[in-house]
Amino acid sequence: MTFTPRARLINPRLGIYFGIFTSAFCALVLVLLMLEQMGASRGLLSLLILLGSFAALMTIAVASATNDPLDFYAAGRRVPAVYCGVGLAISTLGATGIACLTGAFFIVGFDVFWILSGGLAGFVVMAVLLAPFFRKFGTFTLPTYLGRRFDSRNIRIISAALLAVPTLLIIAAEIGIGAKAIDWLLKLGQPMSVAIMAVAVACGLVFGGMRALTWSSVATAVAAILALVVPVAIVAVLLGYLPVPQFSHGPLVRAVGRAEAVAAIPIVTQPGLTFNLPHDGFQAAVKRFYEPFGSIGPLAYALATLTTMMGVAAAPWVLPRVATTPGVYEARKSLGWACFFFGSILVTAITIAAFMRHYLMQAVGGSIAAPPEWLRNLIAVRLAEMNTRGNELGMPSILFDRDSTILALPYAAGLPEVFAFLAAVGLVAAAFAAASAATLTLAGTLSEDIVNGLDWQPPAAKLRLGVARIMIVLVAVFGGLVAQLASGDALKLVLWALALTASTGFPVLVSSIWWKRVNQFGALAGIVTGFTVAVLTILAAEAEFIALHSALAAVIGVPAGIAALVSVSLLTLPPTRHALELVRDVRVPGGEILYDREMRMQRQKQIRRG
Amino acid sequence: MIERKERKPYWRHTKWQMLASLLPFLLVLIVLPLYSDGLNHNKFLGFPLGYLLSAHGVFIVSLITVGGFVNRQDAIDHWHGAHEDN
Repeated sequence: MTFTPRARLINPRLGIYFGIFTSAFCALVLVLLMLEQMGASRGLLSLLILLGSFAALMTIAVASATNDPLDFYAAGRRVPAVYCGVGLAISTLGATGIACLTGAFFIVGFDVFWILSGGLAGFVVMAVLLAPFFRKFGTFTLPTYLGRRFDSRNIRIISAALLAVPTLLIIAAEIGIGAKAIDWLLKLGQPMSVAIMAVAVACGLVFGGMRALTWSSVATAVAAILALVVPVAIVAVLLGYLPVPQFSHGPLVRAVGRAEAVAAIPIVTQPGLTFNLPHDGFQAAVKRFYEPFGSIGPLAYALATLTTMMGVAAAPWVLPRVATTPGVYEARKSLGWACFFFGSILVTAITIAAFMRHYLMQAVGGSIAAPPEWLRNLIAVRLAEMNTRGNELGMPSILFDRDSTILALPYAAGLPEVFAFLAAVGLVAAAFAAASAATLTLAGTLSEDIVNGLDWQPPAAKLRLGVARIMIVLVAVFGGLVAQLASGDALKLVLWALALTASTGFPVLVSSIWWKRVNQFGALAGIVTGFTVAVLTILAAEAEFIALHSALAAVIGVPAGIAALVSVSLLTLPPTRHALELVRDVRVPGGEILYDREMRMQRQKQIRRG
Repeated sequence: MIERKERKPYWRHTKWQMLASLLPFLLVLIVLPLYSDGLNHNKFLGFPLGYLLSAHGVFIVSLITVGGFVNRQDAIDHWHGAHEDN
């Protein structure tokens, strides 16, 4: 007789629910377009679109309230592969991935494509090396996994403390970018917008934890993808291309190249390790769009690809979510879907950048006294600036805000303003998804591995979830404070976070499955060395002691971590028989999740005793 | 449920599959963009070829890699009896 546990049943109505959400969101945008034509004010339109989206997200958050730890931390392990994949993609990208990268693609073109290839490779590496085995283990956080795998409380607590740093950087970056979009929409000022983001994140998670996060991130992904894809498809049709601009904008790219040649923009090739990442704020586009290695050297390009790959593969706010799928086949497949959505979103971002370059090149060469109308509109809504020296508009005299390039496209193409609001709401939604994912990870780590971390057996469900809920609120508030006080370059914060997770987590995670000889001392040495070296590298690079960009810190951190892990493991005693048995179990990734089996046995023991 | 004596062959098979999925993919990922300058002189679908391969190309290669891996690894699971009953 086959017995299917209740937890593995997938809700058959998921498609209907998200169909309703998608239609409601489209209807909202259409109504706003009508209201705009009827003369509604900018403030009313942006308030309505933001309120509508937040209302939908909060409905999902409240509807998925739960008191069961398995639901709260792993969404009941019944998330189908597609939904898990779209959630993984949007919480890896976040609003930084969408807003900052579109701007970076616009400013330096080809040279930041490494983020696309690095992120995709991160999902591929995660699917092949980590995800199936992590799912078999099934713990709710990375530090719990490491602690149980090496049977060491020290590793659990130390890795929790160290992995909290990159997670906090992500929260700060995402809340910062989300608040910037809210501020642009409603003009409430930065502190108020940060407060709105932090409260939204806390409310979104506190009732349902991972269950709420999973379903709300699917909804935010739908909103973000619509906000990206629809305006750019319309612009493509206006310019005479097929409405799948991702694959049809080729002639436009070459036209941009020809216009750049006419404007005599030089072709520069940078030496190996040069890494001139576009900073935040206003700046001019600096190099030819599709000529490679004009601001980032070829070696730095390859190293940055690998850094991003390892950072994404080991990200503590991404990896545990593969354990929400019902089986190992779905866990692997969900990463295929994550690749699909991640790649689609970034290829769309590249397309938006190409279209913006096209409009920019049309303006270049005109007279400064009479700039095109769209440029004047952009300057009026604070999305562009113009240098008024000289007579002729050159590429260096038009400055764009890196993180707002995506909002500028509807203005440049002369679309109704609602499309710019739609893009801003897409950013808020993506920021919400990524900030929530990181907040839940950090709160889960603090409550599971630090507050309740001294005992392998978790406390009763009520106490366990109570602590987690308090932590969610505290982390959201703290993340908001950090975003407000230390509002730096969001893209740089995310790249630092990826460098830190790569150096701290990647060597130990991979070796915990693929190398039997690694023991707890080696693991601890690897974690601590990787983190310390990466932090020191970032500090040294920021102080300009070394000629390496701080985003590439993992280039030194990962080899240092691997060296420490291997040498200490080989110099100390081999792992115990218990640890080897555990590895043997994990290496067969199908079957019941080890963590769930242990919890089930503990429950049965208690029932027998009681 | 997998039999005890099947574990070693299963893991050997899994390891080879891991290498077969990752090595060609990583090679393409690192080497392809380095040649994009030369490739840009050609065009495909109207795109400069180097640009197309470094963005869309890497995207499609990664989809094929994960898709192939999921199917092959599932076949390995079934071959050694390590699959889940559904």
